[in-house]
Amino acid sequence: MIKHLIKLVWNRKRGNFLIAVEIFFSFLALFAVIVQVVYHSENYRQPLGFSYENVWNIEIDMKQTSDDYFSPEQLETVRQLYLALRQFDEIETAAGAHTPPFSFGGSSGAIELNGRDVRYRRNEVTDDFDKVFGVRLAGGRWFSKEDDGAAWRPTVINQRVAREMFGDEDPVGKRLPGDEGPTETRVIGVVTDFRHGSEFDDTENLLLSRVKLDDPKNRPPRNLLIKLRPGATREFEEKLVARLQGVAKQWSFAVEPLIERREEKLQQRLIPVIVVGVVASFLMIMVALGLTGVLWQNVTQRTREIGLRRAKGATARRIHRQILAELLIITTAALIAGVALVAQFPLLDIIGSISGKVYAISIVVSLAMIYALTMACGLYPSWMATKVQPAEALHYE
Amino acid sequence: MLKNYLKIAFKVFLRRKFFTFISLFAISLTLVVLMVATALIDHIFGPMPPENKRDRTLGVFYAEMSGSRGSRGGNAGYAFLDRYVRNLPQTDKVSVFSWFSQVNSYRGGEPIKLWLKHTDGAFWEILEFEFLEGGPFTADDDRNANFVAVINEATRRKFFNDRPAVGQTIEADGQRFTVVGVVANVPFFRILPFADIWTPMGTAKLRSDRAELVGNHLAMILARDAADIPAIKSEFQARLSQVEFPDPKQFNRFDSAAETFFEFTSRLFGTTDGKAQPQRLLAGLIIAAILFMILPTVNLINLNISRIMERASEIGVRKAFGASSRTLVGQFIVESVLLSIIGGAIGFALSHLTLRALTGSGLIPYADFQLNYRIFLYGLATAIFFGLFSGVYPAWKMSRLHPVAALNGSVQGGRR
Repeated sequence: MIKHLIKLVWNRKRGNFLIAVEIFFSFLALFAVIVQVVYHSENYRQPLGFSYENVWNIEIDMKQTSDDYFSPEQLETVRQLYLALRQFDEIETAAGAHTPPFSFGGSSGAIELNGRDVRYRRNEVTDDFDKVFGVRLAGGRWFSKEDDGAAWRPTVINQRVAREMFGDEDPVGKRLPGDEGPTETRVIGVVTDFRHGSEFDDTENLLLSRVKLDDPKNRPPRNLLIKLRPGATREFEEKLVARLQGVAKQWSFAVEPLIERREEKLQQRLIPVIVVGVVASFLMIMVALGLTGVLWQNVTQRTREIGLRRAKGATARRIHRQILAELLIITTAALIAGVALVAQFPLLDIIGSISGKVYAISIVVSLAMIYALTMACGLYPSWMATKVQPAEALHYE
Repeated sequence: MLKNYLKIAFKVFLRRKFFTFISLFAISLTLVVLMVATALIDHIFGPMPPENKRDRTLGVFYAEMSGSRGSRGGNAGYAFLDRYVRNLPQTDKVSVFSWFSQVNSYRGGEPIKLWLKHTDGAFWEILEFEFLEGGPFTADDDRNANFVAVINEATRRKFFNDRPAVGQTIEADGQRFTVVGVVANVPFFRILPFADIWTPMGTAKLRSDRAELVGNHLAMILARDAADIPAIKSEFQARLSQVEFPDPKQFNRFDSAAETFFEFTSRLFGTTDGKAQPQRLLAGLIIAAILFMILPTVNLINLNISRIMERASEIGVRKAFGASSRTLVGQFIVESVLLSIIGGAIGFALSHLTLRALTGSGLIPYADFQLNYRIFLYGLATAIFFGLFSGVYPAWKMSRLHPVAALNGSVQGGRR
C-alpha cells in the first residue's frame, strides 16, 4: 500500500517537490521560533534563586570611564555612602556589588580546566549581599569577618560551578582550579544556583568575591543595594538621593527598584521573541492558506483518477485516506530533510548556550506542529475528493 | 495588447476569488513585514530632523587606546576631541558634547528619570532642532557655565504640564537650570542629538574628565561640502598617529574614526584594517530580507502553478490558434506582476496602520514612524520583483503544455 502511494507521489514529482520545498522552509522558520520559545520557557521554569522584593538598586556614577582605575578615596566615599544608608530607619540591610541582578552586561571570565574553557560570571559583593537577597547556602559559609586578614582570597561559588570544577567532591576549603596567582583563591562556600540575569536567562556559572569597604586594595562597588522595610514608598527616593548627594557631591546616583529593572530585562528578552513569533505566525497562516489552495487544485485536476477509483469500488473513506496519506509522504520527505539540516547546527557548534534537551524538544514540537498544519490543510481538499461522483468524473472535461 | 492582458487578468482574479484572496493575502503580508522593517531601519539611519545635514556630517562614535599590556576603549575623551578634532581643516563647524547619562529629578517627591547631555554651542548650529518655544543656548553660556537648559517636549509635559516652560527652572541631578528652549522629541537611537535635557558643558559636575583621551564624549563634524568628506576622514586618521600619550609605556596606539552612524554600526560585522565596511551591513540586511522572502516566494510559486494549470484549456485554445510560448509567458508574467502590485498597495496601507500602531504603543520612546517615498519605492520594487520571480517558473512550465493535451483536459498538474 505504502509502496503504491509513494509511486503515486513520485509520478507527480515536480509539483510535489515544490510543495515539499514549501514545507521544508516552513519547518525551518517554525523551528527558529520554537527554539526561542522553548529555551525561554525552560529557563522560566527553573527557580530564580533569590528574592528581589523591596530591594532597590542605587547605581553610583563616579564620573569616570573605566572600571579598572580606582582610587582609595573613591572606596572611602563609597564606605561613607554605605554608612549613610545604615542610618535610615526605612532600610533593613544594605550591600555593595559590582553588578546588580537583572543587568545587561557584567564582568565575566574563563578558567582552563582539563583542556577546555569554563566560562563564568564574576561579581564582587560585600558581606551583607546574602541578607539583601535571601541567598541560600548549599554548603560551607558566606563571607564574614572571619575572612579578614586571611592569607588567601575567599570565594563563594554556585552549585553549577561546584559540579563543573569539582565533580562530586566537596569544594569547600579547596583551591580554585586554574588559579595560579601569587595569592591563592579558596572556596569557602557554595550557594544554590541563582540567576543574576533574569528568569529568562540561563543558569550561569557564578563566582563571587568579597569586597571590604575599609581595605584600600579593593575596587569600589559600582552599585549599592538596599532592602527596604515593608511599607516604604517611592517618595523615600528623593530623601535618599539628597542624603547621598550630600556625601558625594560630584557623583550622580540612579535609583531603581529591582522590580522595575526586572520588568525591563524581561521585556528586552521577550520583545525579539514576540516579534519573530508574530512574523512566523503570519508566515504559517500564509503557508496554510497556500497549501490548502494548491491541494484543492490538485484534487480538482485528479477528478478523473478519483472517479475511476470510486467506479472500481473504493469507498469515500479510502479516497480520503489516500489523499491524506500522499500528503503525509510529501511532508515526511520534507521534514526528514529539515531535521537533517537542523541537526547539523549543534554539531557545528552554532547554537551557543542552547542545551541539547531544549534543542530536541524544539525539534519534536516543530515536527508535531508541521504535521498538524499540513494535515489540517489536507482535510478540506480530501473531503472534496470524496464528493466526486464516478459517473460525472469519468466524462469530466 | 497590454490592455487586453490586464482585462483578462482582472476577470480571472474575480472568477477564482479564493485563489486571488490567498495570493493577495500572502503578498501583502510579506510586504508589510519588509516595509515595516525598512521603515525602522530608515528611521535609524535615514535623514530626519534635526539631522538634516547628514550628507556632510560625520560623528566620532568610539575611541580606543592600546598598548602591549591591554587596551581601553569606549567613547572618545574630551582632551582628544578638543586637541585633535576641533581644529580639523575643511570643516564648517565641530561640536564636542558628552554621551547622554541618566539623572534623577523629582517633582513633588515623584522620581522622574531624564537623559542629560552636556553640549557646546556649536551643537545647536549643526543640528537643526525644531524649537517649540525659546531657543538654544550659546557658546557664551558654555564658557560662562550658565545654568541654562534646553528640554524636550516630553520633559515639558512631565514638569510643566505642557504649559510654556521658558524662564522656569528645572532641577536635574541636584542642579537647578533655567529653561531657555523647548524642542520636539528626538528618538533614542539618534544618538548624536538624543537627550531629554541639554545643558552647557561648563555646568558639568566634574572637570577632571576633560584631560582624558578615552572618555565619554562624542564629536560631530560638519564639512563645508559633502565632497570634502574623504579628505576630512583621511586627515582624521593621520592625526591619530600624532596623539601624545601621558604614559607611552602603557598605551601607545590610538584608534578612532570620523564616520557616519551607518558606518559605525557596520563595525559589528567586522572591519578591515580598522576601516568600517558599510557594504557588509548592507549585504547582511539584504541577505536577511532574501532569507525571509524564500518561504513566501515558494508559496506564491505553488499558488501560481495551480492558478495557471487550472486554465489549461484556455492555454490550449490560445496555442491552437497560434499564440507563441513567448506571448503566453509574457501574458502570465503581466498577470502575476499585476497581482503583486495590487498586493503591494494593500501591503502599503497595512504598513501605514502597523507603523501608526507601533508609534502609538510608545514601545520605542519618542519614535514617530512614518512611511516616506524611499520606503514606497522600495516596497514597489520588492512587489514587482516578487511578481516576476514567482511568475516566471509557472509561466514557463505552462508554455510547454502541448495544445492537444491541454484541450482534451488530460493535463495532470506537474506531470511532465
